[in-house]
Amino acid sequence: MTDLSTRSVVTGDGGRDAASARPTRRRRISPKARAGLWTSYLILIGLALIYIYPFILSIAASFKTDADATQNPLSLVPETVTFAAYERLFTGVPFTLWFGNSVLVAVVVTLGRVFFDSLAGYALSRLKFRGRSMVFVFFIGVLAVPGVVLLIPRFLILQQVGLYDTYAGMIIPLLSTAAGVFIMKQFFDSIPVSIEEAARIDGAGQFRTFWSVVLPMARPALVTLIILSFQGSWNELGHFIVSRQSPELNTLTTGVASLVSGQLGSGNQFPLQLAAAVLMTIPVAVLFFIFQRRIMNTTAGAEKG
Amino acid sequence: MATGLVITLAACSPGGNDGGETSGQDLSILIGSSGQAETDAVTQAAEAWAEETGNTVEVIAANDLVQQLGQGFSGNNPPDLFYMPWDQFQTYAGQGFLEPYADDLANADEFLPALREQFTYDDQFYCAPKDFSTLALQIDTAAWEAAGLTDADVPTDWDGLAQVAAQLTTDDTTGLVLGREYARIGVFMGQAGGGVGDADEVTADSPENAEALEYLQGLVEAGNLAYPQDVEAGWAGEAFGLGRGAMTIEGPWINGAMANDYPDREFISVELPEGPGGPSTFAFSNCWGIPAESDTRDAAIDLVEYFTSDEQQLAFAEAFGVIPSTESGSSAYAEQFPENAAFVAGVEYAQSPVAFAGAATAVTEFNASLETQGLADPAAVLGPFQENLQAAADKANG
Amino acid sequence: MTGTASGSRRGGGIRRGEARAGWLFVTPAVAIVGVFLAIPILLALWVSFSDWNGFRSPLNPNVNFVGLDNYAAITTDTGLDQRNFGRAVRNNLWYVVFVVPLQTIVALLLAVQVNRAVLRGRGFFRTAFYFPSVTSTVAIVVVFQFLFTASGAVNAVLGFFGINGPNWFNDPSGVFHNILAAVGVTSAPAALAESGPLGVTWWEWLAGPSVAMSSLIILAIFTTSGTFMLLFLAGLQNIGAEVDEAARMDGAGPVRTFFSVTLPMLRPTLFTVLTLGLIGSWQVFDQIYVLGGSTAGGTITTPAFLAYQTSFDDLKWGQGAAIAFILFVFIILLTLFQRWVLRERDPKGMGRGGRRAGRGGAADPRRHEPDAASAAVGADPADRALLTGADAREDGDAGPRDGSRS
Repeated sequence: MTDLSTRSVVTGDGGRDAASARPTRRRRISPKARAGLWTSYLILIGLALIYIYPFILSIAASFKTDADATQNPLSLVPETVTFAAYERLFTGVPFTLWFGNSVLVAVVVTLGRVFFDSLAGYALSRLKFRGRSMVFVFFIGVLAVPGVVLLIPRFLILQQVGLYDTYAGMIIPLLSTAAGVFIMKQFFDSIPVSIEEAARIDGAGQFRTFWSVVLPMARPALVTLIILSFQGSWNELGHFIVSRQSPELNTLTTGVASLVSGQLGSGNQFPLQLAAAVLMTIPVAVLFFIFQRRIMNTTAGAEKG
Repeated sequence: MATGLVITLAACSPGGNDGGETSGQDLSILIGSSGQAETDAVTQAAEAWAEETGNTVEVIAANDLVQQLGQGFSGNNPPDLFYMPWDQFQTYAGQGFLEPYADDLANADEFLPALREQFTYDDQFYCAPKDFSTLALQIDTAAWEAAGLTDADVPTDWDGLAQVAAQLTTDDTTGLVLGREYARIGVFMGQAGGGVGDADEVTADSPENAEALEYLQGLVEAGNLAYPQDVEAGWAGEAFGLGRGAMTIEGPWINGAMANDYPDREFISVELPEGPGGPSTFAFSNCWGIPAESDTRDAAIDLVEYFTSDEQQLAFAEAFGVIPSTESGSSAYAEQFPENAAFVAGVEYAQSPVAFAGAATAVTEFNASLETQGLADPAAVLGPFQENLQAAADKANG
Repeated sequence: MTGTASGSRRGGGIRRGEARAGWLFVTPAVAIVGVFLAIPILLALWVSFSDWNGFRSPLNPNVNFVGLDNYAAITTDTGLDQRNFGRAVRNNLWYVVFVVPLQTIVALLLAVQVNRAVLRGRGFFRTAFYFPSVTSTVAIVVVFQFLFTASGAVNAVLGFFGINGPNWFNDPSGVFHNILAAVGVTSAPAALAESGPLGVTWWEWLAGPSVAMSSLIILAIFTTSGTFMLLFLAGLQNIGAEVDEAARMDGAGPVRTFFSVTLPMLRPTLFTVLTLGLIGSWQVFDQIYVLGGSTAGGTITTPAFLAYQTSFDDLKWGQGAAIAFILFVFIILLTLFQRWVLRERDPKGMGRGGRRAGRGGAADPRRHEPDAASAAVGADPADRALLTGADAREDGDAGPRDGSRS
């Protein structure tokens, strides 16, 4: 329920490669074009600095003392490097607990989505059954529902079914999304039916065909779904605000948010808050970079060829 | 006494699910803490009680007490015992969220009458006042001396306050730093002889109140009064601790906050200066709320008795500065902590901030308008305040 | 699409088994989405028509039906509730007015620069611009609070230029008011001092985003431009360098080429980006929550946050749910509009059709249900991103899928 920016790893995947498919032309470059290119570089480098500097600055400031961070906001080098903020994060703040909860929730949600969404996507793509179009329309309709208006409704239903303030209440509502079902359906639509037909003739049941023949073929779409789900549930805030209240169930997002707005954040403890922000970003960043390298490789390959 | 009560209560409740068990219970306690000092003190006291009575407790310091309480109630899972803020009490009582238990307490008659009244709704004494606080003026003694001021200069009226604020203002320090909210600015209304009234008569747009805002605006324009936001502090106490304000107006919790976060800051608390309408301050009190029809009612009541005993209240007073809510406790406090005499003295002329059901929203709006419009045009902020309070009052009076 | 219509290929027995499996396979997803999305919406709809105060269940017998009272309280009844709603709408409206065009322009600028045919280090730049989009809003808000404090990095930079920066996140003054104040206008002209829609004076409506909201606008551009850049990159790829070069052969300069050739061809992507931005910008919640919601004199409160606050803090559940439903209907309308336009475009070959043809991939087996795919641009940001991702994938065929096949 964040703004759309935080959710869209897949676009990273998809956009990959605007550049890659186009045959690269190495022609003689006119002086005029060269000047244009340099302008481009200058603009890009300037912009890249604006986009990257805040993160570098934050990492630097997390190693500063409170006073240093407040007094020298622009300097990349701490006056004295201190790990005090990180120490405090692990001693004075239940950061480990938050981290553990985030891992637990994100992993279970990711596994659940991969399984349930691909099952449903497969059925909608391949299996003929009465009511299929109805189910399809249902998912299309649901796609239009804006997540942020679900805060109050989700809270109400969790309270009604007695899952409020439990791990189950935090996890189950996130286990399947209409969008995930669509991605998988679209993917299955794109692969030939012949292989499964062969499996069917072998006499394998529907589930076995799905599990051991179809799913392995769907790896690329699954990777997309895994990354999206992990990132989405790792960064989720709204649902964890309304599905729990116990401090033991704080995730990184709700926990760090409390550092900023609550009792602990009453001072200008920027290093502490920034250290928390840095640590909570690492898992998603790692995922992003692994994924990105994959993209770069295909891109580079295309360019060489 | 506590043990005696356990037996009494156990005797009159046959046990089972009616909240009658006073041991073997698991209590969650939600508090809106002024800082680590308060959290630690409440936790220690609760754990001591739990050990003595065979219960278990968990003390949770809320990030946002009102929000967490609301979510707890709506989620059918309210804490077993909680700080009920004074400004929300009437709303919660009116909605039927609270257990009116306070008359069952063994020490029900010992609370200060004004506090007892504050937590009475529909003629029922709902919940035990946890403690109480008044506002006083804090002065940074180092800054005071640096400005060449002496004991004789301690301000006793508005002019005096304006004068020392000007003298204390330097490049890095503003003379007076004050929370930009009704709960602080309201004391000046009282000192001007005004106030916002109550549900029977709302008087927010009185000329006295306008005079109070004009006075403060004068200080702002002279550069001698700043708000915490202006000096990059979360609240006035932080600004004071950081030395960005030489004086502030806070309650006794300032002692605990300073001791914990800014132990080097030396200061004194004096009574608020009088205005043209005489002396005035605010008295705040939270009560110990118990949710209606709670399963752990009796255990929670037992704990409230433990918390509100004079002995325990004085221990809290020592830890984070609040004044005991009982008559005997508060007089013992004045003797024991002469440096806090100013707070106790304020009891004489303290007003209760406006708190009828629905008033809180109007106050929030007023605070926001102070932020967006400032005090330059008192009528522009007091007019809507009057309107909103009146609307809430009409609703509360049904 | 129904079983009976298309089952002629196979025998009845298999079809029955297939039907059973089909239902079995979709049931978990349908159940989860139904129980935690469809039913809750109905429950909230009931709450918005009731006087439930947050105590016990909203279905308990003491809760009464109050008709449209809750909706009236925030829209037609004069009072604080109405004004708070009006202000939240005002705040968000300015947010949208600035964020949507700015993020689109920035994203387009980034995409065009990154797309330069002879540019090296394209991957690096793309990563740099996209990275803010994958991090959590909570972390970004922490970073921005640090950068934008009164004595923070942003004001330090402004200081180099002799500008005395504001106290960003705490400054409730409207930027238009500030501009007017700079030329000496500090109070409302009589015509604007009167009450406008939703109990908020015209003068307040025209205040512009507060300085605090402006920091959030910058934050939004910072985090979303990378995502939209990728969409534009995909669009640019479809246009291809040939068109560009052809235009230049004709003697058009790069700027003219961009405006007269590239931009018109990007129109479908541009439309998608604008509508996605529009839908997304009305759903701001996380940032406001982390910042405490009612700070800066209530000038950063959005309807989404107000709905939450009204319910959870003020215990006016009916009103909170009513706000959520107004927002819900509004966003659904935006989404339907978007779907309608995209649907219209397809047959004319302006949208995907055009792209497909350009690629010569008419036989693409993925295109069973192009309408569904284009209709599937959901309103939930997460879903949207998913699907725009799916969209983009169609454009970049050299992706992981093909990679892994080889």
